[in-house]
Amino acid sequence: MIENPFTEEPKPTSAWLWQVFTGVGLVILLGLHFIANHFVAKGGLRDFAEVVAYLRNPVILCLEVLFLLCVTTHALLGVRAILLDFGLSEQTERRLDRVLKVVGALTVVYGLAVTFMVIR
Amino acid sequence: MAILDSRRVSRAGRWVDVRHRRLGMWAYALNRITGIGLVVYLYLHLCILSLLTRGQSAWDSFVSLARSPFYLALDVILLAGILIHGLNGLRIALTGCGIGAGAQKAIFTMLMIVSAIALAVAALKIFHI
Repeated sequence: MIENPFTEEPKPTSAWLWQVFTGVGLVILLGLHFIANHFVAKGGLRDFAEVVAYLRNPVILCLEVLFLLCVTTHALLGVRAILLDFGLSEQTERRLDRVLKVVGALTVVYGLAVTFMVIR
Repeated sequence: MAILDSRRVSRAGRWVDVRHRRLGMWAYALNRITGIGLVVYLYLHLCILSLLTRGQSAWDSFVSLARSPFYLALDVILLAGILIHGLNGLRIALTGCGIGAGAQKAIFTMLMIVSAIALAVAALKIFHI
């Protein structure tokens, strides 16, 4: 528990570095995602035909897949950081890491499956 | 051996209570609360995207619903969470790299003002005012 976070710098663990790396990536990718899907699209959302055409663009597809990877990694590392505050034992921490890796892999596979079912 | 004990659980959840705390604690709590909200939204969003696999009518019906004022208001709340979490997160990343560590309070205040302005502009755009 950090009493005053402004007085302490985050410890540079590999998890923290990945959190920063994916976070910076998300600022760019989420910005593009939000602008493309909610501000450029007519009425704030794309209809089915527009979504299919959008995702069939190879550059957009790569950016959206990268966005899925970044957002999943960042989100689950954040959940991990909050749960680690509970002072888990080393064994529980290892189990938590395994569970989060499985959840992350399932999330990415699910996202890719939906994407490729839409554009096939 | 118990995985968790009540004292640890109590201590770990203290960040939620920001009453009588300094600005740094508000920044810390804001980052976590918006983070939890965004994780919940991420999985909700992925569930909704499954409508795309059910074809045009399922997705287009949802789009009609999502263009209603209630859903647009939820979009504004979502954007608020993204802006606060994103900009505060950038501050944390910079501090971790040793940049601006001495001016964190000023940077945090400035970024929250930027968030508020960006949110106001986006809300006007979302509601086509």
